[in-house]
Amino acid sequence: MSTVERLDKPSAYYAAKKRRRQSDRDERDRDSQSKQEEDPLKDAATIYVGNLSFYTTEEQIHELFSKCGEVKRIVMGLDRFTKTPCGFCFVEYYTHEDALDCLKYVGGTKLDERLVRTDLDPGFLEGRQFGRGKSGGQVRDEHREEYDPGRGGYGRAVNERSDQYD
Amino acid sequence: MGDYRPRRGGGGGGFNNRKRRNRDDDDNYDGGGRYQRRRYEEPPAIKLRKQVIGIAELPHRRVEEDIMNSAKTIADNYFDTDLTNGFLDIAVSLSLEQPLKIPFVAAIVLQTNTQKPEFTEEILKKFGEELQKKINEGHWRDAKLLLRFLACLQGLFMGDGIFPLLEELFGRAADLQTASSEDTLGLELVKTILLTIAYTMASSATECEAQAASLLDQTSIIASGPPHILENLVDPYPSSELGAPPSLESVLSLLQKHMQVEAKNGWMLPCLPRPWKGSRPAGEEDLLASAQKHPFPSINLPETLSTGHKQLFPEVYFSVYADQDIDTVPPASDPSALLIRDALSDAINVMHINRFVAGKVLIDMDQYFAPDTFVKRATAFDKIREVAGDKSAWKPEDVIVDATFSQLLQLPLPEHKAVFYHSVLTESCKVAPAAVAPSLGRAIRYLYRNVDRMDLELSRRFLDWFSHHLSNFGFTWKWSEWVNDVELPDISPKKAFILDALDKEIRLSFAQRIKGVLPEPYQALVPPEKEKDTPDFVYQDPSTPFADQAMELVKKIRQKASDDDIAGILSDIEQEASKAGLANPKVTSTDVYMTSILFVGSKSLSHVLAIIERSRERLSAIANQDAECRKQIVGSVLDFWKFQIGTGVVLVDKLLNYGIITPMSVVEWALIDRIERGTVLTKDWCYEVIMKTTSKVVSRVRQVVAKVRDPRLSDEERSTLQAALDKELNDMKDLFAAIEDAVGSIASASEDGMIESSDALRAEEEQILREWGAKWLRVFRRRSAVEQNWVKEEMAKPLPALPAEPEPTTKSTEVKMDDAPASKANGNSEEQRGASRGGDMDEDGIE
Repeated sequence: MSTVERLDKPSAYYAAKKRRRQSDRDERDRDSQSKQEEDPLKDAATIYVGNLSFYTTEEQIHELFSKCGEVKRIVMGLDRFTKTPCGFCFVEYYTHEDALDCLKYVGGTKLDERLVRTDLDPGFLEGRQFGRGKSGGQVRDEHREEYDPGRGGYGRAVNERSDQYD
Repeated sequence: MGDYRPRRGGGGGGFNNRKRRNRDDDDNYDGGGRYQRRRYEEPPAIKLRKQVIGIAELPHRRVEEDIMNSAKTIADNYFDTDLTNGFLDIAVSLSLEQPLKIPFVAAIVLQTNTQKPEFTEEILKKFGEELQKKINEGHWRDAKLLLRFLACLQGLFMGDGIFPLLEELFGRAADLQTASSEDTLGLELVKTILLTIAYTMASSATECEAQAASLLDQTSIIASGPPHILENLVDPYPSSELGAPPSLESVLSLLQKHMQVEAKNGWMLPCLPRPWKGSRPAGEEDLLASAQKHPFPSINLPETLSTGHKQLFPEVYFSVYADQDIDTVPPASDPSALLIRDALSDAINVMHINRFVAGKVLIDMDQYFAPDTFVKRATAFDKIREVAGDKSAWKPEDVIVDATFSQLLQLPLPEHKAVFYHSVLTESCKVAPAAVAPSLGRAIRYLYRNVDRMDLELSRRFLDWFSHHLSNFGFTWKWSEWVNDVELPDISPKKAFILDALDKEIRLSFAQRIKGVLPEPYQALVPPEKEKDTPDFVYQDPSTPFADQAMELVKKIRQKASDDDIAGILSDIEQEASKAGLANPKVTSTDVYMTSILFVGSKSLSHVLAIIERSRERLSAIANQDAECRKQIVGSVLDFWKFQIGTGVVLVDKLLNYGIITPMSVVEWALIDRIERGTVLTKDWCYEVIMKTTSKVVSRVRQVVAKVRDPRLSDEERSTLQAALDKELNDMKDLFAAIEDAVGSIASASEDGMIESSDALRAEEEQILREWGAKWLRVFRRRSAVEQNWVKEEMAKPLPALPAEPEPTTKSTEVKMDDAPASKANGNSEEQRGASRGGDMDEDGIE
């Protein structure tokens, strides 16, 4: 399509990561020609889903995301210490097409009354289901200053800071 | 519209957006020294591109001025090949991607022709080539749109312009129709011809009435003929009487009538825009008439016309505002109805890649038709008569909601997945909530009122849409309006609709939340069991037979015990069952085992799937030995999860995937063992489970068809695969036959066969159930017919070309063609046309 931007493309998150990797690599291989990398997302059938409430269940996720195609499996994102859901998940489809449809039709609509963020993902690997924030959840929940009742209230680092003053 | 940025939802929205905006400001810093942004003068090619892409979008600009400006820019910069080639590409792209703009872009060409006729030659050459390609490949929608562009240029063609090609197309259509009563390509061609005539007559050309009339005479042979045999398949309000005529007239028949009316009235075509007119003084308008004429591009119709990737079916004009006192949308009798509907349907369907743009195009659509075709946007329904007076009362919000529903509720299948149309309606609602929401409200009321007589598949799609839509808008709905229907028996269609809608809402949310917005009379419809996180385990009550063994099994399952341990407990149950005189002890042990698995895994889907995977061998062994056990597995799942039946339906689907149960076992359990005189047919979960099961089978067949048609196969390989295909086709036939038999017997259940048939209430109940049976029969007969038709058409097509040698940098489109049919049609059955999805646009891959 040349007159309109498609919605079924990887978001800025992945592109920025790629750019950072490229620039790191380019610095290292200044002398050698950097290889044209094949796009790992070109057949991606996995979707990263963000901005979920901590209370959103697998079944709810399945109900919504199966509208775009048969869901192969759902991997819930977990707090790496408490092993409880921390607001993201991976939805695996059987086909790349279904994943693209997910970006077009479901990304940015509501699940459990929150707008979900969807992105193409290169694929689930063991370990990727855990939050990487210092407190165990997602990084974005560390310093969040807005109160979000579906995601533990204030950011965890913010909570700690305010606890200091008690 | 070129650089329309989609809004990204969620993701800590506010914070990230602030970050991004600051960065943009930073980027405009010129090396940290200067603070002023250097004036950036866009090259004319870019400026023109933006101007043309955005043509007619802004309501306050005079589009005729923009057209003149663009034409002048092209003429003045004719030496700039970037600019001219850019325009050629844009003209084609816009025609195919934003077809509502076709008359406006064509008007630019008409004006440019008065200044630089040489450029017109390039344009015609480009369009000729593109049209030829589309015809060769059987992309009939794209061909229609390119023809439309050329029709708008009729004024600059020599001789009869577009008419000879239309006549030739008609000749082919007639041949196709004569050759087969099932032919639908001929119908599609005639529809295209009729629509093209309309745009031709609205163009700047004069004195085409004779050719138009002559062509109309010919098309009436096909268009006004008796109903096509497939029209019955696509009737949204099927009659239960055998042989009754379809409830709605076909689009083709209507269109023929409309064009004949227009011909009588001098081709006023009041809804079509005439951007070529402008409000120039009369002298200047003659510039168009006196401009150089050109020959119509030569097009060769291939000997055999390809049917393309889409399965074609006759269409009807469906409206969700069909029974209002005031016509807020064109009624079926109005000649503008199909012109508007056709244009909007295309606008929606080609814009599946960006639903935000689709929503915006729809909200703005009144700009692309003649002024005063619609009332002012956001005019309230009860004010329309005042505001409109004598003029048209067509409300643009109603018209776009109508068009969207007509696509979602198209039979046999919508073009795209249903969820796309959900998202378009959601977007439209978000863009203009005050204007669109009331239109949606009236549409919902209409569909609900007609849920009794609607085709079952359509009422299910309405149900899915309704619950999904509410979940995006806080689940608010005026349930109080339907409160009287809460009294109806559960099997009546409206009551069943309410029950299922509530269940589906709960699936996307949770019971307490949904109950919270329901008026008091509805509260009883959500039993307390639905509020439990996990279902009760019947064997926790020690007085339940086999409770001890069940609790043992639970322990063993949790311990991930060995297969032998499990086997021991199961045979223990079987012995006890046998002693107690139970009919089939193995069925009993299967039930206890499966239920125990479900209980241990009841925390989440992942939990139970992990256990099922661990226990896969044992479960398969049990299932393989005995059909009754297979059915029992289905039963245990759906019984355990009966208060959160959505989970049960998902698990049955997964068990099918694992091959532990068979499609036939699902059908037999639901439609024979649990038929309950037909009451099971009134439940959406039953429909879902049977639909998903048949979809799996259909999908499997399509995969094998794709494999058989792989051009790289050896003869031996092909014949092996053909044998496999034959088996799959037989299995599919058997499955549909089993379904049709089961529901057919409900549909034709004789009144004599029922005990106490003298009871009037009971008789009424039987009648309702018979109607459900008839509805189910129709749906599955249709599915079966559509599928057999697909296989027949697909196998009749020539094999795809051998894929070209793979090059490292370019993608071969032929390889793409090869892959497309192999894409798996998925469990969300009714939304997809399987292998033929994503048809025209993605195929061409114009990036």
